[in-house]
Amino acid sequence: MSKCSGDKQVKAKNCDPCSPPSVDCCSSAVTTEQNDSPTLWFENMIDNCYDYAIDAKSNSRPIVGIMCEYAPRELIMAAGGVPVCLCGGSAKTIPAAEDYLPANLCPLIKSTFGYHITKTNPFLEMADLVVAETTCDGKKKMFELMAETKAVHLMELPQKQDDSEAFEHWVTEIHKLKAELETRFDVQITPEKIREASRIMNRERNLRRGLAGLMKADAPPLTGRQLLNFKSIISGIPTDLEKYEEAAEILRSHSRNGDMSSRVRVLLTGVPVVHGAERVVDIIEESGGLIVCMENCTGLKPILEDVDLNAADPIRALAKKYFHIHCAVMTRNTRRIDYLRALTAEYRAECVIDLVWQACVTYDIESYQVRRLAEQELHVPYLRIETDYSPSDSARIAVRVEALFETLRSSYRTGQPCRK
Amino acid sequence: MIAVGVDAGSRAIKIVLMDSDTRSILATGLVKQGVNSDELTSHLLDCLLNECALNRDDIGYVVATGYARNRISIADTTITEITCHACGVHHVVPDARTVVEIGGQDSKFLHLDPTGAVHDFAMNDRCAAGTGRFLEVVSERLGVGLEDLGQMSARSSNPAVISSMCIVFAETEIIGLLSAGAAPEDIVAGVQNAIVTRVASMAGRSITPPVVFTGGVALVPGMSQALERLIGQSVTVAPNPQMTGALGAAILASKQA
Ligand code: SF4
Ligand code: SF4
Repeated sequence: MSKCSGDKQVKAKNCDPCSPPSVDCCSSAVTTEQNDSPTLWFENMIDNCYDYAIDAKSNSRPIVGIMCEYAPRELIMAAGGVPVCLCGGSAKTIPAAEDYLPANLCPLIKSTFGYHITKTNPFLEMADLVVAETTCDGKKKMFELMAETKAVHLMELPQKQDDSEAFEHWVTEIHKLKAELETRFDVQITPEKIREASRIMNRERNLRRGLAGLMKADAPPLTGRQLLNFKSIISGIPTDLEKYEEAAEILRSHSRNGDMSSRVRVLLTGVPVVHGAERVVDIIEESGGLIVCMENCTGLKPILEDVDLNAADPIRALAKKYFHIHCAVMTRNTRRIDYLRALTAEYRAECVIDLVWQACVTYDIESYQVRRLAEQELHVPYLRIETDYSPSDSARIAVRVEALFETLRSSYRTGQPCRK
Repeated sequence: MIAVGVDAGSRAIKIVLMDSDTRSILATGLVKQGVNSDELTSHLLDCLLNECALNRDDIGYVVATGYARNRISIADTTITEITCHACGVHHVVPDARTVVEIGGQDSKFLHLDPTGAVHDFAMNDRCAAGTGRFLEVVSERLGVGLEDLGQMSARSSNPAVISSMCIVFAETEIIGLLSAGAAPEDIVAGVQNAIVTRVASMAGRSITPPVVFTGGVALVPGMSQALERLIGQSVTVAPNPQMTGALGAAILASKQA
């Protein structure tokens, strides 16, 4: 059993980047005590990243904030920088953000900006530069405000994924970021450095894909929430990579967990579930579900494809990998539908749950296509959950999720109680 | 053996006692929801058992539903309102294909397949605009009892248009209408229309008949007519609409006992 560590020390506590990582005390998945070192390591993820960032800073490595999976981390690493994800997952910073931003805006954007205003995300405070992209309108305009008090480099992300000219433009944008990093940090980003960074990131993605792949089992050795915890806001930390490897080894030898096979297998899609905002994930898994596949930016979406290490031009290779990310800001975003089709089959999902943060227009509208795919083509039930970071609708969400599972199990017809 | 269905809703707790073998209803009871739903439930259950000259040893299985379902200690299991209402409505109106349920704080739309199983459902999220809460707000504002709202709306010749999607803004709108001299009956009729509009918007395009209306709000005169007008189909009010959730829970309990 995992230990409850309620008295856990969070070193960065004065700054509380995303409220201390919560510890699942009554989790039923396997993490035996002698073997849970990777679990414990990632439970301290924020602290680990904090230590790593402080150390990097004292060695004059620049800290570069990112807020989207389109940010090419490899380029930042090739410049000697530390890419750290700054996405806010806490409701606490939202009121401060609303002094500047409209209330009717995605909570992820508000929370992130709230940290900036209240100066409570130590990583953002440390950051020498923030790399931003023109993804959704909310973020794009928020970055304008952030740029008033913070160094922000904006990349223009073209949104026609199938258009070769759009791609060429994206290549140019990556070159511009390279130039910005080189001037600002007085470094030379050589092709070899990019390749080396790409190698590290490919390895990280590969290890995380391996862990995610464990969920394909009939009785996976971990919950979706536990898998979500195997993730770091800083990419390429050597110890993280070791721990991913260790975790996979331990969990592979555990691949029998009876309780897991009776749960409803869920594919979760939609918006990212950033650190601190895992409420809906917990509701789904507390209601008898098991998230076997998380097809979003905090799950598989950004790690499905790698950078081609053999490409003649490493910048173009990078551009290609990132331009392929199937975010709803793209149009037409057919890759998302294709991946959803493939992943539902691969992970044998019994239903699709689509999470939409309130006021996220792109994912909200795309729900229509996702529902159509699920119901009319894949013939699996679909449930859309639109919410924000406040827990006031948790009971209602639980009813809908439980009802979905009851419908799936038709427990009342077979005479099986759906849960005790 | 006795099967017990408990529907611990936001406004009232409802209990149905059922004979597990014959599926005949032995007793039904209702008590207003309060601070301690668990105690209220136990007390109501004991009263009902008493009426039937039964005691707790006769109980085979208890299913709790409703928003306070997880707080009912006598329950052997919990099942959501969605499954329970579907089951309860299917029992009383076997050919029902669409169920509209409007309760004190929530509302739902269920599509049933011909066997009575839930095919698809929608339910209100945070907002209470399409629920009984809206009727309470207007009755408080106008100073008339909930039970009188139906007669009032029947007298309306020109229902007011309440356009706010949000109950808080709608209340402001009502105040505005009153000060502009709108007749209270028109306001009541307008609110009833606003509730059904809101609920019907959850259904999407397809509403398969027969349509059954259930939940406490189905008891309010005028509501089923407002619903009929809006969806352009005839609507059957479930017999004893407040009880269909508890009834469904009792039936589901009888399958376990
Ligand atoms: S969902 Fe889209 S905008 Fe958000 S992090 Fe992912 S790629 Fe970026
Ligand atoms: S969830 Fe939607 S609105 Fe929020 S940052 Fe991502 S794309 Fe933008």
